[in-house]
Amino acid sequence: MFLEIKNIRKSFGVGDSKVEVLKGIDLGIEQGEFCVLLGPSGSGKSTLLNIIGGIDHADEGEIIIGQEKMSDMNEKKLTLYRRKHLGYIFQMYNLIPNLTVRENIEVGAYLSDKPLDLDEIIKVLGLEEHQDKLPNQLSGGQQQRTSIGRAIIKNPDILLCDEPTGALDYKTSKEILKLIETVNQKYGNTVVMVTHNTAIKDMADVVVRLRDGVIRDITRNEVKVKAEDLEW
Amino acid sequence: MVRSPLRKRVFREIKDDLGKYLTIFILLVAMIGLASGYFVAIGSMIKGYDESFQLYNIENGNFTTRYEIRRVQKKEIEKTGNTIYPIFYKDINIDNNRTMRFMPNRTEVNLACLMDGQLPTQIGEIAIDQTFANNNGYVIGDEIHTEDNTYQIVGMVSLSDYSALFSNNKDSMFDAILFGVGVVTEESFEQEKITPTYRYAWKYPSDPKTEKDEKEMAEDFAKVIRENVVIDDFTPRYLNQAIMFAGDDMGRDSAMIHLFLYIMLLIMAFVFALTTSDTIFREASVIGTLRASGYTKMELVTHYLTAPFLVTIIACVVGNVLGYTWLKNVMINLYYTSYSLPHYPTLFNTQAFLETTLSPIIIMFVISFIVLIRRLSISPLKFLRRDLSKKKQRKSLKLSHRLRFFTRYRLRVILQNIPNYIVLLVGLLLANILLMFGLGMPETINHYQETIREDLLAEKQYILTVPASIEADSHALDNLVTMMAFENAVQTKTEGAEAFSAYSVETYNAVRQEDVLVYGIKKDSQYIKQAIDYGEVYVSTACAKKFKAKVGDVIQVKEHYENKIYDFTITGIYPYDSAVTIFLNQRYMNEVFDLGEEYFSGYFSNTEIKDIDEKYIGSVIDAESLTKVSRQLNISFGGFMEALRIATFVIFFVLMYLLTKIIIEKNAQSISMTKILGYSNKEIQKLYIRATTIVVVVEMLLCMPISTFINQWMFDSYLSERMTGYLPFYLPPWIYFRMMAMGLIAYAIVSIFEIIKIYHIPKTDALKNVE
Repeated sequence: MFLEIKNIRKSFGVGDSKVEVLKGIDLGIEQGEFCVLLGPSGSGKSTLLNIIGGIDHADEGEIIIGQEKMSDMNEKKLTLYRRKHLGYIFQMYNLIPNLTVRENIEVGAYLSDKPLDLDEIIKVLGLEEHQDKLPNQLSGGQQQRTSIGRAIIKNPDILLCDEPTGALDYKTSKEILKLIETVNQKYGNTVVMVTHNTAIKDMADVVVRLRDGVIRDITRNEVKVKAEDLEW
Repeated sequence: MVRSPLRKRVFREIKDDLGKYLTIFILLVAMIGLASGYFVAIGSMIKGYDESFQLYNIENGNFTTRYEIRRVQKKEIEKTGNTIYPIFYKDINIDNNRTMRFMPNRTEVNLACLMDGQLPTQIGEIAIDQTFANNNGYVIGDEIHTEDNTYQIVGMVSLSDYSALFSNNKDSMFDAILFGVGVVTEESFEQEKITPTYRYAWKYPSDPKTEKDEKEMAEDFAKVIRENVVIDDFTPRYLNQAIMFAGDDMGRDSAMIHLFLYIMLLIMAFVFALTTSDTIFREASVIGTLRASGYTKMELVTHYLTAPFLVTIIACVVGNVLGYTWLKNVMINLYYTSYSLPHYPTLFNTQAFLETTLSPIIIMFVISFIVLIRRLSISPLKFLRRDLSKKKQRKSLKLSHRLRFFTRYRLRVILQNIPNYIVLLVGLLLANILLMFGLGMPETINHYQETIREDLLAEKQYILTVPASIEADSHALDNLVTMMAFENAVQTKTEGAEAFSAYSVETYNAVRQEDVLVYGIKKDSQYIKQAIDYGEVYVSTACAKKFKAKVGDVIQVKEHYENKIYDFTITGIYPYDSAVTIFLNQRYMNEVFDLGEEYFSGYFSNTEIKDIDEKYIGSVIDAESLTKVSRQLNISFGGFMEALRIATFVIFFVLMYLLTKIIIEKNAQSISMTKILGYSNKEIQKLYIRATTIVVVVEMLLCMPISTFINQWMFDSYLSERMTGYLPFYLPPWIYFRMMAMGLIAYAIVSIFEIIKIYHIPKTDALKNVE
């Protein structure tokens, strides 16, 4: 198992206001799999993603990625780990406002010893015409594509996507999903995507439903639906 | 090694926020330039001054004789191995009541440094001192007139033995306005029909190595001179103010400049740190994403340090270039209005370089680095959530609901920006201290001049001088004759003239060793409006204030070069602000100092005493001589004070602009949201601009008493300790209004910028980056 999540517990607050958001999560994801974490607001899916990404800490439990235990890592090692193995895509694109599209993607490339070809990525993302534009000259979809470029250019082992289509319209959302699908297939990255859009589950290998901090069920799609065929 | 692509945004960030970076840059350049200019100028001038002793063969001392020395006397004196050179002069009244000391050009000792033009080569030509010329508007080609002759100025010189224009070594201050020196040809010198003063300079075969040697050598030589000639004056170089004063004075301001530089650097470093903090706040989600993607804290610290670092480095380079070129000359000109200094080479000053390059860079770096490390040490997740507080959320301060909503809102804005307002307070305080000094100093000097004129003990005080020859222990017959002649010569028939005793002593155990004039006054004096009985001790108000003495305190004085100490218990304070003096009953004073029952050494008189030979009059204390110090201070400080006033306005403006800008930018989203909710721009101004306006007004008001206190303290403990006499710091009330006005004008201009900024905040800002 490439990504092992063992008995993850996490709570916020203290005393009476203590809220347990993850109540013992166990999950395994194989390399190259596309995993969707589904669930309503407050189910703990973003918290789980952040713990997998090493930007939040579990109170209990263990995350093992490719033989490496995250709990053994100090802050410095975690940073190095994220640098080498993880790519992040957020709902808000968080691009650097005074860097062009190309330069924003280079920000990701810088982190890798063997980044993917920048021009190829720009082409795959359909950003050739926009590569010299600043983020404020782009549409939401173009900005999200840029942030995907920034995440995947370093060819991360795991691509973590937190509601990547949450701020986009139907058409643009499908374009973004198609891109993530392409990236997953072309570069073989493991993808973990948090969403509350149930339609997206059909394009995943593994679907994990969370509610109130526990896994309700894990399903595997024998036949995946292509992103362009998704409807919602 | 691949360079971070983030570097590409550094210049864009500077360009995008040009207003901020440019203002900081300009202020840094100004500070560094002024400091660098000052240090380089002072370093170069001091070096030039020090070298002038060798270069222009400056005397080891001089003495004045009653008559020209005969060849045989010269031979006798020079048996000591020392060489003597005639440096005769004639003090001649010229245009506008100025006095010009004429002297033939020197060829062996105390050489003149030609600053411009040429030395006189024929009769009717003169080269005058450049400082006197500058202060009186003389240029080459102008004419000066004596009673009988006209001279054309052909050159500007700096005389190595008159770097400070003291006409009399006993004067408390030089006077580069009313007194000047000039060199002429021998023929020109001869044509002026007054008797010259027979002054001779001497040089030792080799310069004394220590101050003690110098003193001993001078004392030994004095004995030899007195054995051979009748002298009126004897001044070894180390006591010659015309030569030594400039050297002692230059560089005294270094401590102030250092303090100013470092305080300003610290303020600017904190401003930089605050603006960088603000940038981090604005870019929180980007930083969160970068950190989540694997960017290390140090990579981001390096990135956010780059722009301030770059601006500081460029400011250091530009500041130093300006310092070494233009500002050095500005600084030098300030000194040249006071001192007549020879040419000097501009020297690279290692200390100046370190203090104006390394220090700013290190201070900026360290403070920005600490702030950034602290700011960026929170988790990526917190950045993503824009939750940048390291501490747990404190409970918000409860504000009474009785307060109007707008008042509460403004209070919240103020509470949110307390760190910014603290930095603003420190900056405003510094600016106000400087401004108060800049406005108060000329007022203090003018007020002092007025006080002196109103406060004169008599229109004129004649201090008699016993010829130096009498002090010799040989040639008793000569001395006896001279003494008898002296006693006869110093009697006056001038109506109203009142004899007094005066004895110069120095303070003992005081913070600063200072000359104090002790007056022995007749009990029924018509000039001192206080009957002083035998044994009573009155001190002048200036003396009481300077030494913080009150009735009942003991003031200790000692005689110059002697060890005997006199304790005087103060019985009263006499209202006299012009000089640091002690008033005793004349009989009592003569007894205390063992001067003899009939001793007196001067006259008070409201009319000019004409029947005493000038050579027996050491000095005349009148309004003009007493205001010499203040006149010179006015000249020395004039340009500097103007520069200070401009500098403080710039500091006001820059600090207010930068810190207000941060506050508006920090609240851009909230401002945008209030716009969406339907608040008008005017209402938004009331919320955000007025909050800062209130703080600025309160801080300005707060600065007034603090600045007054600090200036008073600085003046008392620093200037008063350094200066002879007492110069009370005087602040007329209008100064406070002017300070407030300057601060508020600067703020009004800043507000206009900020109002425009508020107008331009788009409503869409509120919709961005909302989690």
